[in-house]
Amino acid sequence: MTEEQLYTVVGGRGTMTAFEIYIKASPERLWEAITDNEMRKRYSFGVGVESDWTQGSEYRAGVPGVVDISSGENVEVDPPRRLVQTFTALWSEDVKREGTTRVTWEIEPVGEDSCQLRVTHDQLDESANNQLYGGWPMILSGLKTLLETGEDLTTPGSLMYANAGNWGGE
Amino acid sequence: MIDDVFKALADPTRRRLLDELFEEDGQTLSALEQRLPMSRFGVAKHLKVLEGAGLVTTRKRGREKLHFLNPVPIREVHDRWVSKYAEPWASALTGLKRDLEKENQDD
Repeated sequence: MTEEQLYTVVGGRGTMTAFEIYIKASPERLWEAITDNEMRKRYSFGVGVESDWTQGSEYRAGVPGVVDISSGENVEVDPPRRLVQTFTALWSEDVKREGTTRVTWEIEPVGEDSCQLRVTHDQLDESANNQLYGGWPMILSGLKTLLETGEDLTTPGSLMYANAGNWGGE
Repeated sequence: MIDDVFKALADPTRRRLLDELFEEDGQTLSALEQRLPMSRFGVAKHLKVLEGAGLVTTRKRGREKLHFLNPVPIREVHDRWVSKYAEPWASALTGLKRDLEKENQDD
């Protein structure tokens, strides 16, 4: 294992959540799945993400014309190993009040043909709304399914915005 | 991988450790040790098994090593066997939500 990342507490927002998953795919393929708008839609509630993925660039996730999900800055972009983003949730008034948090994606090759993906969502307020980070297990499980089988994971909610135009919710 | 998950879960102390992390995520070994009637060595050993199964993941912060409950492998177990039963139920709920919201609008 490589040297573990050091996390710092910023402005008293010290709460952190951490997730990991093993996926049979190359780091490059995994990086593509994280940064490609169309692939992203297939495992992330049907929500795409747009950015030019250069260091310091902005990104925006959502379904254009239907719902904004999040936006932020790509603070560190080191393909295919490491992506650090600020994350401001936008899907409801409640989550907007949570302000800016941080998401770190780390891709570590393991064995001959697999990777460990670590997602750390931190700089959360101590009483942060769990909607902010509650979607990660489903997203990561869907990402694994997509890369290993080419199929979409269609558990309840996993593609909730894929037909967002049809059900005018949230 | 799934064998490791079930082996790790087959022990009451390890389930207890996951309960403790569920209650408060991101704890040090010292903090966990105080919550269990067991030696530091024993707790460390059980944490190692949980880490090996991917149910616990660690991050360093300053000089501390923090342990987090990683729910993703349990999510995968869920997706494998439960999703098919939950699907119609969830879509029914979505429909219900839509109907209720529509009613509210009509009021």
